[in-house]
Amino acid sequence: MGNPLLVLWYRIFAVEDEGRHSDGVERPLPEPPGQQPSAGILLVLRRMRIPLIVLIVIFAVSVLGLTLVPGEDAQGRPTRLGIFEAFYFMSFTATTIGLGEIPYTFTPAQRMWVTFAIFLSVIGWAYAVGSLLALMQDRAFRRALARRLFARKVAHLGEPFLLLVGYGNATKRLARSLDDMGRRFVVIDRDENRVTGVDLDSYRADTPAMLGDARDTGNLALAGLGHRHCEGVVALTGNDETNLDVAMTASLLRPDLPVIARTSSREIAERMHAFGDPEVVNPLDRFGDHLRILLRSPSSYQLMVWLTSAPGSPLPPRRDVLPRGRWVVCGYGRFGRELTADLRAEGLEVTIVRAEGADDEETQHRAFAEADVEHAAAFVAATEDDMTNLWLVEGARRANPDVFVATLQNRAANASLFDAVGVDFGMMPAELIAHEALARLANPVLMRFLPAVPRQGEEWSAGMVDRLVDRCGAGTPHLWRIRLTREEAPALLGRLTAGGLRVGDLLRSPQGRERSLEAVALALLRDGTSVIAPDDDVVLNLDDQLLLAGRPGARRALDATLTNEPTAAYVVDGGFAPSSWLWRRLSRRSSAVPKEHV
Amino acid sequence: MNLEKVIFGFFVLLAATLNFGFFIGDLGDPELHNVYELFAAVVVNLIAMVLKFGDRTQIGAVQLATSLVASLQLIAAAAVWAYATNVATDGLTREMTASVISLSGGALFANVVSVVLLVVETVSFQRR
Repeated sequence: MGNPLLVLWYRIFAVEDEGRHSDGVERPLPEPPGQQPSAGILLVLRRMRIPLIVLIVIFAVSVLGLTLVPGEDAQGRPTRLGIFEAFYFMSFTATTIGLGEIPYTFTPAQRMWVTFAIFLSVIGWAYAVGSLLALMQDRAFRRALARRLFARKVAHLGEPFLLLVGYGNATKRLARSLDDMGRRFVVIDRDENRVTGVDLDSYRADTPAMLGDARDTGNLALAGLGHRHCEGVVALTGNDETNLDVAMTASLLRPDLPVIARTSSREIAERMHAFGDPEVVNPLDRFGDHLRILLRSPSSYQLMVWLTSAPGSPLPPRRDVLPRGRWVVCGYGRFGRELTADLRAEGLEVTIVRAEGADDEETQHRAFAEADVEHAAAFVAATEDDMTNLWLVEGARRANPDVFVATLQNRAANASLFDAVGVDFGMMPAELIAHEALARLANPVLMRFLPAVPRQGEEWSAGMVDRLVDRCGAGTPHLWRIRLTREEAPALLGRLTAGGLRVGDLLRSPQGRERSLEAVALALLRDGTSVIAPDDDVVLNLDDQLLLAGRPGARRALDATLTNEPTAAYVVDGGFAPSSWLWRRLSRRSSAVPKEHV
Repeated sequence: MNLEKVIFGFFVLLAATLNFGFFIGDLGDPELHNVYELFAAVVVNLIAMVLKFGDRTQIGAVQLATSLVASLQLIAAAAVWAYATNVATDGLTREMTASVISLSGGALFANVVSVVLLVVETVSFQRR
């Protein structure tokens, strides 16, 4: 019926129109399959069916028997217990309270029946309580309960939270930093020990953690993928397939959410990009980039690492300038290849040693001699096994004691071993991933600033670090963004439209305007372009955005400047603005005269 | 033949028949209503209710609801009877008997619904 060309046309257009989906159109998320959160209660009810029926029957038989057995009243006349009295008696007997024989002392026949009933009810209770306890010990039941609790916790989250997939070393570091920044997150992992580890890591906020496979879309939905407060998905597991699955699921079901995914392979990264626009972190690739930055400017590297650390971390030491002579890279796996390409792009001479050929002392010796480690400027041990790396480093040090040694540290636990052997620059993938992810999560504007840092040069970066330390102290500053819009900076509206508001004037302290706030402007965003580190004389316009680094106190003070007219008046031009309506009226009239003279 | 279904059907039906047996007769005449029948109705209704625990189907949920209603009504009837015979000064008067019987009448209605549901379930099962 339709023109095939037209269909093709629409297809092409549909691809281009991808952004349409992000307009808050919520798609239905699938129900978690199999185990529903209410499975726990259903399980209790089903398992307790027989014990409860046994209890009811035992009780009924005992009561009925007690009303039928003949008794005597105080005068010795024959009588029987009523159903109500029998029920009362059995109630306190079966529950082992035992108030005595009522209303009259029992006859031997009644006592025989009661003895029988007591043993019967004890068996019934033991059976019922035993079944209940066995159920509580049941692994499946406890998992169902935990799942239910998790679902409830996630559903009740009332503030923005991140969905962290996997709880390995990298995620753990990231979570610690996020927690320090006061962010909330939800964890999902396949490993039971890691999930229990979330509780042991004692975060400030209650962190829901679920045991489950994140490749199951239902589990992701349960973990809050469809939650209106979910503000992003972070997949940093060591398994590329899982990360790809999560990135694809999140991009398809919630195109509006930012996704950060880790992968060590370029093919997987391309597949991740096919479905949406996830931020892909490739630790192998990024290590080369970090080395290049370090080669060009140690201060830039120092600044970037510091800004992406957890709040309050001390300033990392500035590294020495890396040697620019010949580099020897040992280990030509994925990591070695990436690194070699990066180093060559930087214009360095690189010699490659195959680590596989250096298994024993002698071959290693020969391989090192062949690569001329003795006269190399730097040596990189880049295999994916820490013990091999240690061994290579040891060999390199023996061949050339002055060589600069860099190495890949695959496991964080081995850090002290590498320290002991004397590594000049160690890269831990987990740490690097945590920094990279935090840079993207801490503030959306930060990624406009960070990539521009290495281009500014060593001197500029050193100055920036000094300025930050000078104004904000030695701990990692808080980062935040202000928008100088009509809504968010009402007190500055007049000054912004009139022009002439300088960055330096805005960043003065409301307590005394001669002092500046403990904050530094890192970047200025205007009409999609960014100015890195605007100095104090840059004039601000309406709708500008500023990325600031500073102490939390400075943030509060600046908020007051932005929203409170009298504070703004004092901070910006040292004037006094009356806060009440009447005084405003009066002062406007009187101040109108001198303004005309100026 | 499914033994579980036999037991289930037996208790649902027995709950309704016992309830009906207790309910039938002059509303206010205590002589026409045997208290042991009420006792049996309460017990059987409780068992029928527990049997319906943990059924996930829609019809199972409604079954459980009707049984809950019937059990609560019958327990209320038993409580009124216990109050009349043991606490009230006048004993089991016409008014008291009438309220016991009318409460059990409500339970009877719920039990009838239960039986209807049972029949519906059986019939639809046969057709499949």
